[in-house]
Amino acid sequence: MHVINMEHDVFKANDKLAEKNITKLDKYQVFSVNVMGAIGSGKTTLIEEAIKHLKDKYKIAVIAGDVVAEMDASRFRKLGVPTIPVNTGKECHLDAKLVEKALDKIDLNNTDLLIIENVGNLICPVDFKLGEHLRIVIVSVTEGDDIILKHPMIFKTSELAVINKVDVAHAVDVNADKMRDDILSLNPDIPVILTSKHDLESLKAWISFIELGLRRTREAQRK
Amino acid sequence: MHEFSIACEIFEQVQATALAHGATEVKHVTLQMGRLTHTNPEQLSFCFKALAEGSISENADFIVEMVPPSLECACGYMGPVDEKQIRENSELKSELLVYVAAMECPVCGKQAHMTGGRELIIKSIEIETEKDLAADSK
Repeated sequence: MHVINMEHDVFKANDKLAEKNITKLDKYQVFSVNVMGAIGSGKTTLIEEAIKHLKDKYKIAVIAGDVVAEMDASRFRKLGVPTIPVNTGKECHLDAKLVEKALDKIDLNNTDLLIIENVGNLICPVDFKLGEHLRIVIVSVTEGDDIILKHPMIFKTSELAVINKVDVAHAVDVNADKMRDDILSLNPDIPVILTSKHDLESLKAWISFIELGLRRTREAQRK
Repeated sequence: MHEFSIACEIFEQVQATALAHGATEVKHVTLQMGRLTHTNPEQLSFCFKALAEGSISENADFIVEMVPPSLECACGYMGPVDEKQIRENSELKSELLVYVAAMECPVCGKQAHMTGGRELIIKSIEIETEKDLAADSK
């Protein structure tokens, strides 16, 4: 019997592929965001709002991840943006390999902003980088105000947190400020935005954050 | 559950390495898993065993060594999360949350940068080859 040292890091293999994806996106000067969050947190709606407000200024493409079905993809297509649906089948997250394949179907020469909607889940997407410039986590008040501390790693490893549906916080007996405090206790440096689809001002904050990221990344990519 | 796809990757890597070394049987598979990964060792082991059925890894012991998180701080501190940093708090019942909450520099107290604890490494395998068997029978 003998021992063979392997030292093969399973997640690093995905990370390497994610690096390859981001290098490709940088080459074409595309800004990519990975939108993560639970089922029903409002990812699709917030992405739709971003598309509506930014599509005249920037060329947008979407990768819509779902376990099955293409409902989300068809919502984005209705807004006139090229959309690649990615059905993971049984998997609970997108990974760099799936994104690499989807990138082949996108005209990167004609894309400024690539929005990747991850599969609805606060756990599995944490371990898999995709090749994104900005990792975003969206939670809604309807998930309960203990949702943050139940899923610490996604808040620790994201670069923007959105608390959505704050207009119904009172109705579901949730304090959105407690949710914000919990996020900041896990990750003191993360920007936190409170949104409701019925409050245009809050949507503007969400949209301008994406636009700011796009501009900054563009500048860095041009250097 | 994403353990199945991870187990597929582990199984493929283990099989390829074992066969490249002329293995007739894989006896042990040893993994190192960071405590901050969202991977469950028991589920992973179950998936691996299901995949390995009928292969040379079928009877392999699946050993998972847990790795504590490590930190790097702007003040210059580098090291693992110290057990002393983990505060007694009745609300923090999950191990993951306890470790994430303890992610402060033990020297200066500021939130530190995570450098380890999210890895999943196939560390080594232990195999038996025709040669081993021949040597044993002598």
